[in-house]
Amino acid sequence: MTSPIKPPDGNWWDQPVNRRESIWLGLGVGWSLILFGWMSAWTRVGDQNPIGETFRVEAEEFREKLTDYKERAEDTDDGLVPPDQDVYIQAMRFQWDGAPVVLETGTEYDFHLNSMDVQHGFSLRPEDALSKQINLQVLPGYEWVVPMTFDEPGTYHIICNEFCGQGHRSMHGTIVVEEG
Amino acid sequence: MAHRLDVLGLFDNEYREDGFRTCSVTGLEVHRSVDNHVKLFGLTAVVALLYGGIFAFTVAMTRWEVIGLLDPGAFYTHLSLHAWNLLIFWMVFMEIAILYVGGPMVLGRRLPFTRVAKAGWLVMAAGAVLVNYAIWTTEAPNEAPLLTAYVPMPIAPLFYAGAIVFILGTVVAALPFFATMWFEKRENPGKTLPLVSFAAFVTSIIAVEALVGGLLAFGPALLWRLEIIEWWDAAWYRQMYWIIGHGTQQINLVAMIAVWYFLTHVVAGAEVASEKVSRTAFILYLFFINLGAAHHLLSDPAVSTGWRIWNTSYAFYGATFASLIHAFAIPAGLEAGRRKRGKGGGLFGWLTSAPWSNPVFSSTIFSIILFGFLGGITGVMMGQLQLNMTWHNTFATVGHFHGTVVLGTTVAFMGLVFFVIRTMFMRQYISERLASIQPYFYSAAMGVAVLMMMYVGILYGIPRRTAEVVENIPGTEFSLSAAAPLFAVFGIFALLAITGGVLFVLVAVGSLVFGDRVENAADNADLVADGGLGMAQDPDDPVHAYEMRGTFVLCLVFLAAFVITYLLNWYLLTQLWSIGA
Repeated sequence: MTSPIKPPDGNWWDQPVNRRESIWLGLGVGWSLILFGWMSAWTRVGDQNPIGETFRVEAEEFREKLTDYKERAEDTDDGLVPPDQDVYIQAMRFQWDGAPVVLETGTEYDFHLNSMDVQHGFSLRPEDALSKQINLQVLPGYEWVVPMTFDEPGTYHIICNEFCGQGHRSMHGTIVVEEG
Repeated sequence: MAHRLDVLGLFDNEYREDGFRTCSVTGLEVHRSVDNHVKLFGLTAVVALLYGGIFAFTVAMTRWEVIGLLDPGAFYTHLSLHAWNLLIFWMVFMEIAILYVGGPMVLGRRLPFTRVAKAGWLVMAAGAVLVNYAIWTTEAPNEAPLLTAYVPMPIAPLFYAGAIVFILGTVVAALPFFATMWFEKRENPGKTLPLVSFAAFVTSIIAVEALVGGLLAFGPALLWRLEIIEWWDAAWYRQMYWIIGHGTQQINLVAMIAVWYFLTHVVAGAEVASEKVSRTAFILYLFFINLGAAHHLLSDPAVSTGWRIWNTSYAFYGATFASLIHAFAIPAGLEAGRRKRGKGGGLFGWLTSAPWSNPVFSSTIFSIILFGFLGGITGVMMGQLQLNMTWHNTFATVGHFHGTVVLGTTVAFMGLVFFVIRTMFMRQYISERLASIQPYFYSAAMGVAVLMMMYVGILYGIPRRTAEVVENIPGTEFSLSAAAPLFAVFGIFALLAITGGVLFVLVAVGSLVFGDRVENAADNADLVADGGLGMAQDPDDPVHAYEMRGTFVLCLVFLAAFVITYLLNWYLLTQLWSIGA
C-alpha cells in the first residue's frame, strides 16, 4: 500500500505513472503555457493593459502640475476641459481633485494619477454599463501615466476602492465623455 | 493523568510507559507531547474561529445594505477583527497544529522542546491579543488597519507591534517541528519522509519565507509610526506586505493539501497515485508559489511589466501546474485506493460508495471541489495582468479568497477538527446527525454566498471594504443599486453560512464538553475506511495499475470550467475602452 503517512517502499521514483495521470500532466503543462502566452501576448497586441510610465513625485510637486493644468484647462459646467491630451487627477481624502473632467471619444488621453495622502483606488465605470469597469491602485509618491481612449460617450464614475479612512465611501468623481 | 487545570479532562488520554499510544484509526504511534500540543494549538484556533466568526455576521449584515447593521466607523473595526481573527489567528494556530501532526505524529516521534512550543504559543497568543486590543482601541486620527494596514495610513503603532510579536511567536512555535525533522533525518539518513511529512516540511519553509516578509513590512512601518524613521514608501510596503499577506495564504493552501492527502487516506482508503508526481508538485510549490504574491501588485504603478508577468505567473505557471497535479492526484489516489479494495464499480462507484455521512470525509471532498472550482480558478483569473484590472479591489476579490480560505482551507480544517475530536480528544460527537449535516449545510450556503460576491464584483463593479455603495454613495445621485437583488441573495446565504458555522462550533465544543468518551478501538471503528486500511497490502499490486478514469472525467470537467471562465473573463475585458500603453 502506498500510504501518505508511511515512508514509500523501495525505489519510488522509478515507479511508473498511470497513463491517464500522464495525459493530465500534459494537459496541465499545455494549459499553463497557454495562460502565460496569452497574458504575455496581450501586452503587445491587446488594447487593455495596466501599463504606463511611472515617475517618483512628491505630493507638492504633483500639486503644482495639477494647479498649472487647471489654470490652462477650460472650466465648463460639466467640468474641466483639458488643454491637451494630459489629464491630471490627484486623489486625496476624500475627493478626486481634477474631476469632473470633460473628454472626447477617440482621443488618447494620458491620465496622470497620484495621491496626496494615503493609498486610494481609481475605479472607473460608465453610468449605464456597470460591468465595464477598471480598477487601478493610486499611491502617494508616484505619478502613474496611464493612457486611455474612450470609444463610447457618456458619464463615467470614479469611486475609491481602496480603504482610505472614515469618509472613504463618499469619494466619488466623474468623467464626462462627449462624442469627439 | 489529568492535569489539575484540565477540568474538562481534555488532556488525559491513556499512554504506555514510554509515553506513546497506538491510534486505532491511523495506526500511528502518538506521543503524549504531540497529542497535548496539537490540542492546545487546535483549541486556540477554534476560539479564534468562534470570535472572528461573530464579525462575519456583523460585516455581512452591513454589506447587505438593506440591513445596514453598522455605521462606517464600527464597520471598519469589525472588518479588521474579522480578517485578523479568521484569516490569521484561526489559520496559523491550526497550521502549527498541522505541523506537529505532519512532523512528529506521522513520524511516530515525540515533540521535542515542548517548552519552546509552549513559549511559542504564549507569544503568539500575546500577539493576537495585542492586535485585537489595538484594533478595538483605535482612535482618530488612527484608522482601523483592516488586514493590510497600508502605509502611509495612520495606524496604531501597537497594531504593528502586535503583528510582529505574533510573527515571532509563530517562528518560535515552529522550531520544535524543524528540530523533529532534523532529528529524523540524522537518525534515518537514507529514509524518505512520508508524503504528509514532506508536505508539512514544504509548508514550513514557505511559511518562514512569508514570515520574514512580514517582519520586513511591519518592522519599518512600526519604526515609521514611532517617528524613528521619517518615511516608509507605500509601494515598498505593499511589496513587502504581500510577501506575508499572500504568503500566509500559500501556507493555508499547502497545509490544506497535506490535510487532503492525510484525511482521504485515513477515512476513505486513498493511496498515493504516484509519489514522484505528488512530491514534484510540492517541490514546484516550494520554488514558485510565493512568487504569486505579485498578483496583488498587478494594477500598481511602481513595478515593471516584466516583473509583474513573471511573478504573477509563478514563473510560467509553475505553481498552478502543481495545483493541477494535486487536483488529479488526490481524487486519483482515492479512486485507485478504493478500486483496490473492491469499492469501485463503474465510472464513479468509488465515489458513490464512499463514507459520505462521515463529516471528516465530506468536509475534505467539499473542500477539494469548492477550492478548485471557486477559489483556484478565480485566483488564476485575477492573477492575470490584464484581467486583474477588472477584479482588483472589487467584491469579487473577496469572493475569491472566501473560495480559497473558507470553502477550501476552513472546510478542510473543520474536517480535521472533526477528526481530532474523535481520535485525539477521544470524544464521540454530541450528535452524529448534526455532525453529518454540518459540512453539507455550511459548504452549500457559503458556496452560494461566495458566487454572489464574485458576481456583484465583476458584473457590477462593487468595491470591497466599504460600508455603503449599493444603495447610496454620499454626495452623489450615482449608486450601484442595480446590484441590490444579488446582494439580497448574498445576504440570505451569508446568514445561512453563518448558521452552518455556528453549528460547527456547537458540535465541536459540545462534543468536547459533553460528548461520550471513546473507550476503545471499536468506538472509532466507523471512522476507518471500509473495514480498515490494512487491506490490499500486496506490494505486487501497485496502485498506479488501477483505473483512474472517473478522476480523469472529473478533471476534464474541471478543465472545461476553467477554460470557459477564462474565456468569459477575457470577453468582459475586451468590452472595455482602450487602456494602457
